[in-house]
Amino acid sequence: MDETPVVRIRGLVKNYKDVHAVRGIDLDIPKGSLFGLIGSDGAGKSSTMKTVAGVMSYDAGSVNVFGNLIDSESAAERIKLRLGFMPQGLGQNLYPDLSIEENINFFARLRLVKSEDLGERKEKLLRMTRLDKFRDRAMKNLSGGMKQKLGLVCTLIHEPELVILDEPTTGVDPVSRRDFWAILAELLAEKGITALVSTAYMDEASRFHSAALMHHGRILATGEIESLLRMAPGTVASVAAQPQLEALKRLRGRFEQVVALGNYLRVFVPEQTADAEHVVRDVLKGLDVTEVQTDTPELEDVYVSLLELNGEGQAVRELPSPPEGTVIHLDPNAPVIEAVNLVRDFGAFRAVDHVSFEVRPGEIFGLLGANGAGKTTVIKMLTGILRPSEGAGSVAGADMRHSGSTIKKRIGYMSQAFSLYLDLSVVENIRLYAGIYAVPQREIEPRLRWIVDLAGLEGMENALTGSLPMGLRQRLALGCALVHRPPILFLDEPTSGVDPMGRREFWDVLFRLSRQEGVGLLVTTHYMVEAEYCDRIALMHAGKVVAYDSPAGLKADVEKRFGQLLEIRCENPYRAQSVLRDHGFEDATLFGRRVQVLARDAEAVKNDVRKVLDAAKISVQSIGRLPLTMENVFVQNVLDLEHKAGLAA
Amino acid sequence: MNLTRLAAVIAKEWAEITRDRLFLGLAFVVPPVLMLVFGLGMNLDVENIPFVIVDHDHTPQSREYAYRMIDSRYFDFKGYLNDEHQIPRLLSRGAVRAIVVIPDKFEEDLAAGHAVTVQTLMDGSFPLRANIARGYIGAINAYYTQELIAKRLTTAGFSQKQARQQMGNLRLEMRMLYNQSGKSIWSMAPKMVMMVLMMTPPLLTAVSLVREKERGSILNIYASTVTRGEFLLGKWLPYAGISMVNGVLLWALAVFYFQAPFKGSFGFYLLATFIYSFTTTGIGLLVSSFVKTQIAAVVMTMVVTLVPAILFSGMLFPLSSMGPQAQVIAYLAPAMHYARIIDGTFMKGVGLDKLWPSVLSLLLYAVVLFSLAYYFFTKRPQE
Repeated sequence: MDETPVVRIRGLVKNYKDVHAVRGIDLDIPKGSLFGLIGSDGAGKSSTMKTVAGVMSYDAGSVNVFGNLIDSESAAERIKLRLGFMPQGLGQNLYPDLSIEENINFFARLRLVKSEDLGERKEKLLRMTRLDKFRDRAMKNLSGGMKQKLGLVCTLIHEPELVILDEPTTGVDPVSRRDFWAILAELLAEKGITALVSTAYMDEASRFHSAALMHHGRILATGEIESLLRMAPGTVASVAAQPQLEALKRLRGRFEQVVALGNYLRVFVPEQTADAEHVVRDVLKGLDVTEVQTDTPELEDVYVSLLELNGEGQAVRELPSPPEGTVIHLDPNAPVIEAVNLVRDFGAFRAVDHVSFEVRPGEIFGLLGANGAGKTTVIKMLTGILRPSEGAGSVAGADMRHSGSTIKKRIGYMSQAFSLYLDLSVVENIRLYAGIYAVPQREIEPRLRWIVDLAGLEGMENALTGSLPMGLRQRLALGCALVHRPPILFLDEPTSGVDPMGRREFWDVLFRLSRQEGVGLLVTTHYMVEAEYCDRIALMHAGKVVAYDSPAGLKADVEKRFGQLLEIRCENPYRAQSVLRDHGFEDATLFGRRVQVLARDAEAVKNDVRKVLDAAKISVQSIGRLPLTMENVFVQNVLDLEHKAGLAA
Repeated sequence: MNLTRLAAVIAKEWAEITRDRLFLGLAFVVPPVLMLVFGLGMNLDVENIPFVIVDHDHTPQSREYAYRMIDSRYFDFKGYLNDEHQIPRLLSRGAVRAIVVIPDKFEEDLAAGHAVTVQTLMDGSFPLRANIARGYIGAINAYYTQELIAKRLTTAGFSQKQARQQMGNLRLEMRMLYNQSGKSIWSMAPKMVMMVLMMTPPLLTAVSLVREKERGSILNIYASTVTRGEFLLGKWLPYAGISMVNGVLLWALAVFYFQAPFKGSFGFYLLATFIYSFTTTGIGLLVSSFVKTQIAAVVMTMVVTLVPAILFSGMLFPLSSMGPQAQVIAYLAPAMHYARIIDGTFMKGVGLDKLWPSVLSLLLYAVVLFSLAYYFFTKRPQE
């Protein structure tokens, strides 16, 4: 491998007026590596990538690409033929009125690709991405996953040595994401291309060879994924104990990182595995502990631990008791939300296809799916904004088909955009919502104090909402949605754009609302990992519910039907993947430098894999078991459904 | 300059224009429609002024006087009014714009040689129209007075010839050149071409470029080896071409629909319009360097193009009647130069030999605008 890194960044600083996007980072990207920039919105990923691609100037430091210092437009021009850049936003850089083929041709001609090379390359890339059947379809009529693959083809058509992909998987469904990573890994391995890829999904870290964790314009840690995971030595224990609130309180008193995930409490124990279970049981002595499971920490645990080392740790807050006053009472035994065979058509397009589920009081219910799966349409129907084409449902004991205004009085709704007025202060926003929901005049003051307390906005009451960071805005929006003390809360993608720390704090508030106040919560998200926070979930895909159970139940079901997840560490993992696929392990998938397979009979499969790889002269370091993730659950369910549909057709 | 890349940008742009219904409509449908709407609506001629007469005299002479006005093509007679109290109501409703009150003993006093006052009430809310109407009434009245005097001299024993001599020999012989009948549409329709070409082509150019900024596809340009010049030219040419096509369409509308006379050479018109098209779209190109959103592009282009085109092109107010500062602004506005060319080719039939300074100014404009756009466009911006 070449010694000089393809990209070398030293002390990079980038400011947008008053916003410090990148605050002095150093980064080396070795040749041939698949390098990840991991962080939430506003971490500085896009700014870094744009400076490397030479499409944005920077304020201080140096950026070297292929050994050229990129410090002017003409310097940047010299490297542009050797790199490909795919900006953020699904298909945002493509031309909607042009067909797949025309888009590719445009990118190729812009790069002066010779027509004899173009034909061959185009066919190969179209075949690999399975877009060849749709070559004449206009880009605007493609699905999210297809747009993303077309973007990749357009970026690779001139065979660059370095590709820079800015959040290529955000908002894409897990099946397409998996597909995308497979294609990318194959192309990179084949041509020896170096790739710099950013993502906001922590769980995608395993896809990279090396990565940098970014937070607020700084790099928290960088290195190979394995070494990053070793930065926070310890064990993660998942505990089921009753009473849950008391268990949470005790664990929080002892450990820094404790998160409530549905019926489980997830504790990061910074000690050796053997002790972890013992220590946790010791803390919970006297409570009814039904289950303690231990696992290795994930990247998000590392991220949060590193933040804590930087003094940006999680502030554990008690949920303030709500003020006395008018509260809406519902039947405590009836479901707060009930959807029965909901259907919604937009012209010939069926956005929601016979969706049924129920949400119980005091439950966190998750509606999970990619952008365009139909989640928002379901919420709009349940909240009485949109009439269903077919089906029935009730919300807060009122029929959603003709009691829209009753429902609106009894629910809280927090939208994706947070629907706050950025030019109003914190207090003005709360007063506005109190007015909209007709909260009695004498009750406004106590509720205002309660919301400020709940959102952690003490001392910022008169700050303009636009000046608050995303995490605080999000909690203010939550507070505003709670101003009339509704027994049901709808949250539509409430955590998009918020960093992992902010997300954890937010989910903590939601957990307490459900357990202490008995509020029923319906949350939509496209972050598969967030499903773990829910008591029960409905997985949506293409307008249908493909699975409906608790996270643990769903995982158990997948394990029963498709087997356990095995992780193979070996030499030349890319070749190992194709060898395994040729020998009947069709689901063998490359994750960074490791290969995963599903196995019904773990021991037999382990032996088979070793045999196959030995025969191919690939030395195996280890084969271990991995816990199933919600992404596995989603992918397996959808693939199975598509497989059955294929058989039926 | 690499022609493959330039062709790629142009081909992409053209495909986007022709497939986007809104863009296609703005490119080829809106300009002729604007021309029709403005042409039919912006008629500056004052004709058919609705008016009524209050006749207190009821004599043959008062009726004869009234008929002078009733017969005029400039007035639309709405009838005799008996009740003077209705006057304020009629005027305020806008039902009539002028009222002529013929006093009692009109015939008798005239015959006795007394001075007679005919009262005229006018709606002065739109001064331009009121002034012109006043001029008409004054002229009719003066002519009638002259006839009266002539008649009286004849009855006093002079021959008709002598009577005319007695009244003096200074006569005004007026002829309007280039627009013999003084129809405003003849001069307005060609100037509409100037205005409409100043509206949509620069707008489309600016929006198409800023749209790429908004969507993020501009990053493809930044990240590739296409040069600034190739990209800007690739954006410029299609829209200048669209403007050219419109130049021909609008010319046909002016000549065949509005019947405006075209006395010059069509070849010269095409050449001038070709250069003007690059000038107007060049404004759009430059505007797009400074704005980030489509809405800002629309507003800014409109302000930069339309205000000078309407106020300082000489379309509504002649250049010579402007103050010195306004004249400087007018000379700085490309619209004025093209308006001169338009006037010259349509009405006067003059060509390059007389109008070369205006053509050169437009050419200079196009070059300066493109250079500025080139200077301000960067492939490695601050954000």
